[in-house]
Amino acid sequence: MPLSLDKNTRVALFAGAGAVTMVGAAFAAVPLYDIFCKITGYGGTTQVAVGEAGQVLDREMTILFDANTNGGLGWDFAPIQRSMTVNVGESALGYFRATNTSDRAVTGIASYNVTPYKAATYFSKLECFCFTEQTLQPGESVDMPVLFFVDPLIDEEDRMDDVHAITLSYTFFETEATVSSDDTAAP
Amino acid sequence: MSADSATHDDHTPSLWDWKRWVYSTNHKDIGTMYLIFAIFAGVIGGAMSGMIRLELAEPGLQVFNDSFKLFGMLEMGDSHNYNVMVTMHGLIMIFFMVMPAMIGGFGNWFVPLQIGAPDMAFPRMNNISFWLLPAAFGLAFMSMFVGGPAGGEGFGGGWVLYPPLSGLTGHPGPAMDLLILSLHLAGISSILGAINFITTIFNMRAPGMTMHKMPLFVWSILVTVFLLLLSLPVLAGALTMLLTDRNFGTSFFEPAGGGDPIMFQHLFWFFGHPEVYILILPGFGIISHIVSTFSKKPVFGYLGMAYAMVSIGVIGFLVWAHHMYTVGMPVDLKAYFVAATMVIAVPTGIKIFSWIATMWGGSITYRTPMMWAIGFIFLFTVGGVTGVVLANAGVDAALHDTYYVVAHFHYVLSLGAVFAIFAGWYFWFEKIFGVKYNSLLARLQFLFFFVGANVIFFPQHFLGLNGMQRRVPDYADGFANWNEISSWGYAIMGVGMIIFFLILIEAMMSRRKGEANPWGEGATTLEWTLSSPPPFHQFSTLPKIK
Repeated sequence: MPLSLDKNTRVALFAGAGAVTMVGAAFAAVPLYDIFCKITGYGGTTQVAVGEAGQVLDREMTILFDANTNGGLGWDFAPIQRSMTVNVGESALGYFRATNTSDRAVTGIASYNVTPYKAATYFSKLECFCFTEQTLQPGESVDMPVLFFVDPLIDEEDRMDDVHAITLSYTFFETEATVSSDDTAAP
Repeated sequence: MSADSATHDDHTPSLWDWKRWVYSTNHKDIGTMYLIFAIFAGVIGGAMSGMIRLELAEPGLQVFNDSFKLFGMLEMGDSHNYNVMVTMHGLIMIFFMVMPAMIGGFGNWFVPLQIGAPDMAFPRMNNISFWLLPAAFGLAFMSMFVGGPAGGEGFGGGWVLYPPLSGLTGHPGPAMDLLILSLHLAGISSILGAINFITTIFNMRAPGMTMHKMPLFVWSILVTVFLLLLSLPVLAGALTMLLTDRNFGTSFFEPAGGGDPIMFQHLFWFFGHPEVYILILPGFGIISHIVSTFSKKPVFGYLGMAYAMVSIGVIGFLVWAHHMYTVGMPVDLKAYFVAATMVIAVPTGIKIFSWIATMWGGSITYRTPMMWAIGFIFLFTVGGVTGVVLANAGVDAALHDTYYVVAHFHYVLSLGAVFAIFAGWYFWFEKIFGVKYNSLLARLQFLFFFVGANVIFFPQHFLGLNGMQRRVPDYADGFANWNEISSWGYAIMGVGMIIFFLILIEAMMSRRKGEANPWGEGATTLEWTLSSPPPFHQFSTLPKIK
């Protein structure tokens, strides 16, 4: 049956399929962009590790901590320690303190990255408050931990030789769930 | 051919029969409607740039404030309205002036004529392509008068439509939704048009006209419509995401829900960069014909010219992020985009030098279209050079969003694309309308346009280098002189526009009968073998190409 299409219809269908494919490609950009960032550390996207580095090197690395909130969140959010010095491969624990200064319960989630961007693929988190949503009651204050290490592979890469400090930055956003009241509890 | 046309002329419906236009399936009638629509939209878009230049003529807020009334009656509102003007000027000139004129107008008219086809492959689809445009324009125009940001009307976030300014945070009102719908319609119109052109060019060439014998204008339209077909759906996708973010609680571009506003910029410019080539490529085709016609030589390096356009089209898809160097890209990525962007200067240079080589040793006559074409080559080259400057990520960090960028893209579009449109207009005027225009007036218009456009945009390079920002209605006093000169340039160009309409009226009144080929031996493409205007239906016996 499709063989009976005249040649104009055939070209038009091919062209139409091309256009539809490109709409699909635009939407496919959403997951692809996500995967791309995770693999390449693009924009400072960090890695998630399941186990410890298993090897601690002599090389020291200064970790700087930075914390921000998106407008209207109503939280005070700051790192407890401004910086710490760790050995590459050594697992370390950093704390951030969040206080809900508003008069309502707020659920937030933190987005994060590290600078320099090129170090992102070597910055691994074992456990982080940013993996899940956090709910704070009015006036409640919570210390939030992040357990991380700097991947020893960083030492094998020449272009990482000039990296002596890595800044870990978080920005807390209010999740959509609390913005549109609390009809759905986030898992 | 002329015996043929006599019999067919009898079928020509009356000029005043509304069904001829509204129900039209004739590529020449549809092309004419596109051209008229482009003039109409161009006047509106041009008037908007007049408001912009009026505001920028002096430091401070003179026009867009609460007390000013244009012509004693039109209230211009606040700074937000200035931004609405800037936004709408850009969108109207791109989607409703240059694209309809180049692709819809000249493309519809001359692609079938130049390849020896009786009409487009899908004449009814051609009709819907055109009639979606006024609808799209209406929606865009309406958006200026409904709620945009809190306490304001219209969308003022620039033609790039970046969230969060275009999201609920920046413009909660329906203005942005109307604009999205408008661009969806304009996009569907262009995609249908693109499918039509591709089918026509692939399947309806006259016997003997191989791809490598096709006139360069047809090549330019073919590359252009491929860019349209592959880039516009990406804009449609991004706009749909924006629409669902605004209305259905998704968070494609909302960081709070795991989205990323930068992704919009990637998607937008994946469309936006090919789009700027869409605006200029048909102009390349037009200029090639004119330069060759008035040098009485075949175009230098035909195949190189054709494949230069193809490679500009291909590379055009690989350089989008040079519009967003300042979003915080890794330096390696910037290095790639700098290099890829500069590569585009190679095929573009091939085109410029081939035009010059075509003129070299030719028997040049400076008829009106040739003046516009040479004006185009000179001004486009200036715009191209500043483009190479801006391609450098390091330089761009300083010049991003300054008037240097504004000067750059107006040199390639306002002086490049628009000059190419006028070149084509005066090249084909007699063929389209069947009457001659007054060439003295047309040269006068060229003079006013050439001087005016340069006076407007050349000083903007200096303003940009000194750090004057785009999209801000006020500026520091130090920028006052060049801004005043730039605004006077607008007045000069405005006189050129008045002359343009005088030319139309004069040609309409005096009705000097057009010749089949007014340009002589240099005009070798098939449209010149037909009468002016061509018969309502042409090539009922297909021409043979040797």
